[in-house]
Amino acid sequence: MVKIHPAGIFLSRKLLRYLLSFFCILLIVFLLPRMMPGDPVSNLVGEDIYLSQSTIDSLRAAFGLDTPLHEQFIRYCLQIMHGDLGYSYHMHGPVFEILISRAWWTLLYTIPSIIIGAWIGISLGARAGFQSGKWWSDVIASIALVISSTPPYLLSLLALVLFVYHLGLFPFKGFYDTYNLQSILYHLTLPTLVLISFYASRNILIMRGAVLTEKELLYPQFARSLGIPEREILFHHIRKNAIIPLIVLIALDFGFLFSGALFIEIVFSLSGMGSLMYDAILARDYPILTGSLLIIAIFVIIANITADIMSLIIDPRIRRSS
Amino acid sequence: MRKSQHKMCTLLFLILSIVSVCCSMGVMADDAILRIATTNEVKSPAFIGDYTLGLFNHLSNPPLMQMDENGKLIGLLADHYEVSPDNTEWTFVIKDNQFWSDGTPVTADDVAFSIQMYGTSIPNAGWIGETLTDTQVDGNKVTFKFNKPYTNLALEFTSYSILPKHIWESIENPNEFTSTGPYVGAGPYYLDNVDLNAGKVIFKRNPSWKGKISDYDTVEISWFKNEDAAAKALESGIMDTYWKYASSYPYAAIDSLRKTGNFEMLEKPTSGLTFLGFNLKREPMSDPAFREAVSSAINYQELVDISTLGYGLVPNRGFVPPAMDGYIQTKPMEYNLETAKKTLDSAGYKDSDGNGIIEAADGKDITLDLLIRNSYAREAELIKEYLEKAGIGVEVRTVEDNTWFEMKDKLDYDITLTRTTPWGMLMHAGWATGYFDSRRTGQGVLHTVDDEVFLKLCDDILSTTDQTLLKEYAKEVQEYYAENLPGIPLYWKNDITPYNKKITGWYSNPLYGIMNEFTFTGVKSSA
Repeated sequence: MVKIHPAGIFLSRKLLRYLLSFFCILLIVFLLPRMMPGDPVSNLVGEDIYLSQSTIDSLRAAFGLDTPLHEQFIRYCLQIMHGDLGYSYHMHGPVFEILISRAWWTLLYTIPSIIIGAWIGISLGARAGFQSGKWWSDVIASIALVISSTPPYLLSLLALVLFVYHLGLFPFKGFYDTYNLQSILYHLTLPTLVLISFYASRNILIMRGAVLTEKELLYPQFARSLGIPEREILFHHIRKNAIIPLIVLIALDFGFLFSGALFIEIVFSLSGMGSLMYDAILARDYPILTGSLLIIAIFVIIANITADIMSLIIDPRIRRSS
Repeated sequence: MRKSQHKMCTLLFLILSIVSVCCSMGVMADDAILRIATTNEVKSPAFIGDYTLGLFNHLSNPPLMQMDENGKLIGLLADHYEVSPDNTEWTFVIKDNQFWSDGTPVTADDVAFSIQMYGTSIPNAGWIGETLTDTQVDGNKVTFKFNKPYTNLALEFTSYSILPKHIWESIENPNEFTSTGPYVGAGPYYLDNVDLNAGKVIFKRNPSWKGKISDYDTVEISWFKNEDAAAKALESGIMDTYWKYASSYPYAAIDSLRKTGNFEMLEKPTSGLTFLGFNLKREPMSDPAFREAVSSAINYQELVDISTLGYGLVPNRGFVPPAMDGYIQTKPMEYNLETAKKTLDSAGYKDSDGNGIIEAADGKDITLDLLIRNSYAREAELIKEYLEKAGIGVEVRTVEDNTWFEMKDKLDYDITLTRTTPWGMLMHAGWATGYFDSRRTGQGVLHTVDDEVFLKLCDDILSTTDQTLLKEYAKEVQEYYAENLPGIPLYWKNDITPYNKKITGWYSNPLYGIMNEFTFTGVKSSA
């Protein structure tokens, strides 16, 4: 009989749960426009879209709206598997193509921001917590507190006024001026730095708080009594325990990286996913909204799976309980 | 610890390197590019389907007609037009010497094709499909026959860009057609590139253009997602002007821009205005005395001061601003709280229970449902305050644009705040009739007046092109507004267009401001 590793069982269970969640989201996205009052065609393409009768008829046939619901659902799943998320009459294009073109640009600056923000938050937060009471620890905590309690839009605008308008270091808007690597780097540096400062400041505060709690427990004191150097106590013992709540938060950052980028995209006039979803809400562009919902759901699930694996690696208690 | 410090130093070094690269890049000034900032965002590279691109593409694909600076209709692609006595047959004579950017001449066939295509393929132009019965081309003349008189056709044709038939006839669904360009155009410039990621539309000089030319080889229109960034971009000098359809440069940013010393301001009274609309199907808004009282309760001067920062005027009862052709002088709107209270009292609206709010005939407190979009929040708070002082309760309901369209179409409100655009003032029978005629529909349209007198007036206007008669009707319309107050104008305003003082030759018309052919063939750099 094959013996399955307990961690494997733990992950399989989690995976099954996530698959079930995704199925539920898929079902909700499928059923909502079809069960809502009114014509399903206008619920699927957007209420304020003017379509000729022939287009409405061809859409009705394409969605298979006169077939039983289960057949429609199978057709819908097959379409999704082929990357067909519908057509946006507001944006004049296939939803999948629009989402991919926008998501790519948003990911280009949000993923580095989350990763660097996590790294800075964990490193500085751990040190600030471990050596609390020192002047530099207080300075770091204060700066982090100020940044994380400033409204994101305001901070972005301040960065724009200072670094772009007054110092002229960065451009005002757009992902590039001419499509080349240098221009893209030039345009994305400031939005990325602003986003990093947000993620980093929040992570610093959480990490600092967690380290402050951990360092008062018995195990660091026991380690000290064994003569283990302070640095080793922090990085090999305390940080491992303090990082666990942060992993969940960072995973959530990945889940909300599109909507979280909205304020950056508005201030720096970037046409990314955040502004696409915002515009879709205002314009009631249902195909874009449902497509975005599915993509976000996939991101949240992937991020959660990653967080589970990370927790499994870091926290022996989870390994034991599984 | 030393290892970590090393890492931090590396990170800092990386950031500084990027910053220094950025410094060294800087934005190189290029005098051959005319740069325009806007907050009208292009959402999709659909030449016809995208609303904003449809505004910009007049530069590359001129419509038949345009407005001069006084609001008079003059030819653009058309040299002139003739109308049959019954207003059903319109003949446009196309100018000679017009060429598409690929070198082929602009023909009457292109015009006929474009107008027919709008009628059959573009949902917003469905009226063309419904009324156009025949199109005849004879040399450089194109004649459109309609199944009913349409007085404002020449005005309508200021907004339909003419397309090259040899390119567009093979495109199956023009409304959904997307391409980042280049597009063949016949204006002084053609649309070279729509770059959503860079946030700009680039127009290049039309090599086949035979008319007057400007000093600029390229016109770049850059859109910003917020006004603050656009204003700062102007102040920094990287933009030459600002344009937003039917809007002014943000009033609050004008002083700051003036201080740079690099910009002049083109100040023009606009026919667009902000007004308070009544749901005339509901009590007590259907009562003229109640509307009269509301009009006396509003502090117009304060609204002008707060909303336009002095770049506006207290309006007249005739609604239509002086910037519009056919304007007549009517009594100014007057703020008098005592008069408002007396008018309410004598009309039977009394505060019997002494709670500060007047009651309707059924004895219930009158609390009006003020429906607004969030951009009117500040004005709504002021209106609430004014009306409450007069004893009229107000509850502000803020919704996003589409919900507002839906609710005002269902007449699910008591009063609402909205604005007119220069185009809106001219649509339907003109002089803002399009906003009030109950037979109309559309996004900004209130369609609340079903008074036979008003409807007949609209029909009379629509069935004549006699300028003397039209002037008389314009007067009657304004007198009707002044007497009945279907909407209360809150303030008239001036549109401010800042422009780089080193550039001369700006031209502004009441419909599209500086976005017109005169500007793009006339701007000269004096630097």
